[in-house]
Parts: sequence; C-alpha cells; structure tokens
Amino acid sequence: MYIIIIGCGRLGSMLAEDLSDAGYNISIVDREAKNLDTLGSGFNGLRIKGIEFDNDVLLEAGIKHADYIISATSDDNINITVALIAQKIFKVPRIIARINNPKKKPVYDGLGIETINPTELSVYILKSRIEETLK
Amino acid sequence: MKSIIIGGGKIGSNLLKTLKGRGYNVTLIEKDENVCRKIANDLDADIICGDGSDLAVLNDAGINNADIIAAVTGKDEENLVICQIAKMEFQINKSIARVNYPKNISMFKALGVNQTVCSTEVIANLIEYEFDSDICKIVQTFDRGAMILVEVSVDEKSRWLNCFIRDLELPGESVIAAVLRNGKIIYPRGDTQILKNDNVNLITNQATFLKIKEYMQNGGVSYAKQKK
Repeated sequence: MYIIIIGCGRLGSMLAEDLSDAGYNISIVDREAKNLDTLGSGFNGLRIKGIEFDNDVLLEAGIKHADYIISATSDDNINITVALIAQKIFKVPRIIARINNPKKKPVYDGLGIETINPTELSVYILKSRIEETLK
Repeated sequence: MKSIIIGGGKIGSNLLKTLKGRGYNVTLIEKDENVCRKIANDLDADIICGDGSDLAVLNDAGINNADIIAAVTGKDEENLVICQIAKMEFQINKSIARVNYPKNISMFKALGVNQTVCSTEVIANLIEYEFDSDICKIVQTFDRGAMILVEVSVDEKSRWLNCFIRDLELPGESVIAAVLRNGKIIYPRGDTQILKNDNVNLITNQATFLKIKEYMQNGGVSYAKQKK
C-alpha cells in the first residue's frame, strides 16, 4: 500500500512515522525543510520538500501510483487544492483531507472531498468525557 | 453589474478603482485589516475584511447577486478554491483567477477554471516583446528624420508572413521600397509574396513608423495571446 501524506506538521509527521512503522510505503511532502527534519532518522519513507500542490512535486511523490493521499496541512485552501488535483487529475483511489476551520466543511463537502475534522473530534471526545464524570 | 474582488493587493485595489470609475457595483474582500483601512481611506467603496474563501464572508459580499468574481490574492491555492466555490455553490460561471506562478496555469485549467490571468507571465511577455521589437528598425533617416527607411524582419510569427504586397494594410504615408531575400533585392509589385526570413524595406515617416510598429506587434499584450 502506497500512501502520500501532504504536510509534515504535528498531524502529518506523527501519522507518517506511525504508518511507516506499521510497514506501509510512505512519502511525505512539505514546503519547509525543517518540518521534514522533525521526522528523525527512524522514518524510512520518502521526504520531499516543495510546494504541496505543485505538479512536479506530486509526481515526485509518486501520485500516479498512490493508493491513498492524505492532505493534512494546516491550510484549508492547500488541502482542498491538493484533494482536487488528486481527485480530478490523477484519480487517486482514496483521498482524505484535514479540516482546520470547521466553517469550511461545506466547501469540502460540496466538492466531494472526504474529510477528517480534528477539532470536531476533540470537542466530541472532551464533551463525552465531561458527561461521563457527571454520571 | 455586480462584481466581487477578492484580494486587496496591488492588482485588487487597482481593479477596484477602475471598476468603480466605470460605475460598476463592486465589493472587495481582503483579509488584512490594515490593508482594508488603507483602501477605505482612498476610496469610497464596499470593503469587507475577511477570508474570501469562507462561504459566510462571500454571502456577506452579496455573491448571490454577483455576475463576476475576480480572485486576485497572492496565493494560488486560495484563488483556485474561491473559483471552485463560486462555481459549485453559487453557479457563477464568470470567475477569473489570478495565477501567481505560471506553472500552475495548466492545473487551474485541468480543474475547470478557464479564465486565468497570470501577471508574471504577462510581464515576462512584455519584456520579451521589448527585446523582440527590433523586428521593426530604422535603417536610414533622410532629410533630418522627415523621411525614414524602415526594415521589417518577417519571421514565423509575423502578420505579414505569406501575404501578397497588394493585400497589406499599410498606412497612407508609407510605401514598400524593396524586399530583401537571401541577399537579393526584389523590386516589389502587387503580386510579390512575402516569405519567411524576408526583410521588407519601407519608406515612411516617424509617426507612421510607430503605427506600423504597433500594428506589427499589437502592443505586446495581444502579441502574447497570439503566440499561444
């Protein structure tokens, strides 16, 4: 299974390390070299420094034969752009994008992009824990 | 006509001024509060401070009644998303995106944003045109510049390529004196055809020379279009 992760921030880097340890083929893209350095020497996937939605960068990351692409930068517009490119130009089988601003959810939905919403999830978990203690 | 501009940089603010001057109903959306204030001081216009890729902000700007959307921020991903929103949520077919990196133009096209303006490319083409402008040059001046001999080089992009002399639309105060082909002089008649790599010599004056120059190159901008 070949997975491309876009954005090597907190979410992207942790996901990359985890999936790589689990034996998946990973390539990770970020425009900042210092973000890619946070991965450490244990990570044995491909690191690519470049603009996340640049055609050549995505080709270098192997988008043509990727099974999964996860767009996890902290910028919604970059995540949408990458997801659209993966969906319409390269026809990647599965695409998941991270929502940063929950207000932008309708945009992702309208464009048919599958999403994960960390803010919403945190809120849900926090709320259920609070409710648990009240019982 | 109602239009919305997103991005209040050099392009956005100038566009606002121009459209306002022509009496259009324009709203500008800009993220930076200081920039908004600066524009508001200069111009009496509708300015919204907010994220132009946010549905609520676009609704505030009156996107439901808008005819044209111009996404001219400095970020390509933002311009792309705005055009996608305009098309998908509000069925606006006339949206124009500024592309900052010429490399991204094909990506915009592939994702269905057909109207793009790439300032970087336009400027590069204009500069290239300045370099190219020696396809029309003054060879000799007579009578202290009242009459000049001009040489026009014909390349594969020239408007005159494969034309007959009789078909050329020449300004009144000019006449073709000779065509140089492979070092030979051709004394042109109406049925002389202009071929690639010919040098066409014209007798004219300074004012007409400028007109011919402009005609040959279309002022650069359409020359750039022509090239594609």
